[in-house]
Amino acid sequence: MKLKVYADRMSQPCRAVIIFCKVNGIDYEEIKVHISKGQHLTPEFAEINPMKQLPAIADGRFKLFESHAILIYLACAFPGVADHWYPADVFKRSKIHSVLDWHHSNLRRGAAPYVFNTTIAPILGRPLNPQVAAEAEIILSSSLSKLESFWLKGNGRFLLGGNQPSIADLSLVCELMQLEVLDEKDRTRLLGPHKKVQQWIENTRNATSPHFDEVHRVIMLAKERQQHQRLKAAKNEGGSNMKRPLVSRM
Amino acid sequence: MKLKVYADRLSQPVRAVIIFCEVNGIEYEEIKVDLANREHLTPEFSEINPMQQLPAIVHGTFKLFESHAILIYLASSFPGVADHWYPADVYKRSKIHSVLDWHHSNLRRGPITIVQNSILAPVFRRPLNPEAVAEGEKILSAALSKIESFWLDDNRPFLLGENQPSIADLSLVCDIMQVKLVGETDWNRLLGPYKKVQQWIENTRNATNPHFDELHKVLKELKEKLQN
Repeated sequence: MKLKVYADRMSQPCRAVIIFCKVNGIDYEEIKVHISKGQHLTPEFAEINPMKQLPAIADGRFKLFESHAILIYLACAFPGVADHWYPADVFKRSKIHSVLDWHHSNLRRGAAPYVFNTTIAPILGRPLNPQVAAEAEIILSSSLSKLESFWLKGNGRFLLGGNQPSIADLSLVCELMQLEVLDEKDRTRLLGPHKKVQQWIENTRNATSPHFDEVHRVIMLAKERQQHQRLKAAKNEGGSNMKRPLVSRM
Repeated sequence: MKLKVYADRLSQPVRAVIIFCEVNGIEYEEIKVDLANREHLTPEFSEINPMQQLPAIVHGTFKLFESHAILIYLASSFPGVADHWYPADVYKRSKIHSVLDWHHSNLRRGPITIVQNSILAPVFRRPLNPEAVAEGEKILSAALSKIESFWLDDNRPFLLGENQPSIADLSLVCDIMQVKLVGETDWNRLLGPYKKVQQWIENTRNATNPHFDELHKVLKELKEKLQN
């Protein structure tokens, strides 16, 4: 009765669940559901998750979707998961619920549509939507400021003043890693002002090494492809200038 | 060390928290923060919740915001809260987390978009926006459809096939009730296709009355005030 994790590693919440399993030695089978091929829209997958979204898990007959619910379930149901991931202490636990809830309507609501509508949409055969991107950027910027000034307040290396990561760190950092595919100038503009956020991403990466990098390989490959395409587009523009005939001065 | 609940009963998640306290005999002090008068934007309230949103609670030195986190905290910390509100069973509890998370990105934005761009627009000094209202109605209908076909079992009175209400029922029903502000005709038009949803709202109301009706009086009063 091995845990099944239905996932596409291009999806931020899928990566959080997979990294959590790997770091905690949870035995699981990863069942790849390719969003770009529409596999999440098949009747077969709808049996697993009628909302047709990833991630989803099946543990024996128990099915579950929504990544925060999944992370909490895994932290509670599997032995050997260290307390810091989802503390038993009701006060610490409540603060984790609070930031995970805030994430839905803030960081995720800003980051996901911004990245989608500036970069990822064409990969999935959809049009870019600059207006949605502009609105999402406002929410994303505001969320990054709140992370810098409030959620990462104090001297802890992680959210809520913690010195060890929780499921909240994993969930939010995986969301921010989607920004890797952006044009470097946009990424720098958005993340540049927030030194604590940048350090916290690095802390989370180190705390879940080597799994963090391994699971994020697909995003880093997408980043390389995007950079290559941008370079090509820039070169083509420069190239056509070269083709203008030189006018004789004779 | 009495619990303090920072509230404006106009806010759906505030009502869910207060009804929960009343139904479970949790002693609390309601501290009114008037949204229409922008009291949530004051420096004093920012000390309580830097996100400047309601509800927020203070319990001794412990401060908390986000209504789902608050409901879970109350269910876990106060004696005498019956198990069905937030079951100890990990499977039942996970399903409650699942629907509460789904709520954020699906149901929640429907009612709020509808009312803030129509009847509540003048209260919050915004322009009327029929396009946004139409968008909000689409979001609401899609969510109600999913509640009707998936979250509500055929023969059980509450979400997730349960016989008694959980914090999820309270949270989602309070959100849908916001649509009462736009009047009975529109309420009937939007809720009409969903028989199970209508019954479920009634079930939740009955399970938490008289507190449910008491807390939702504010919607009736506000509607009458705005129409006059």
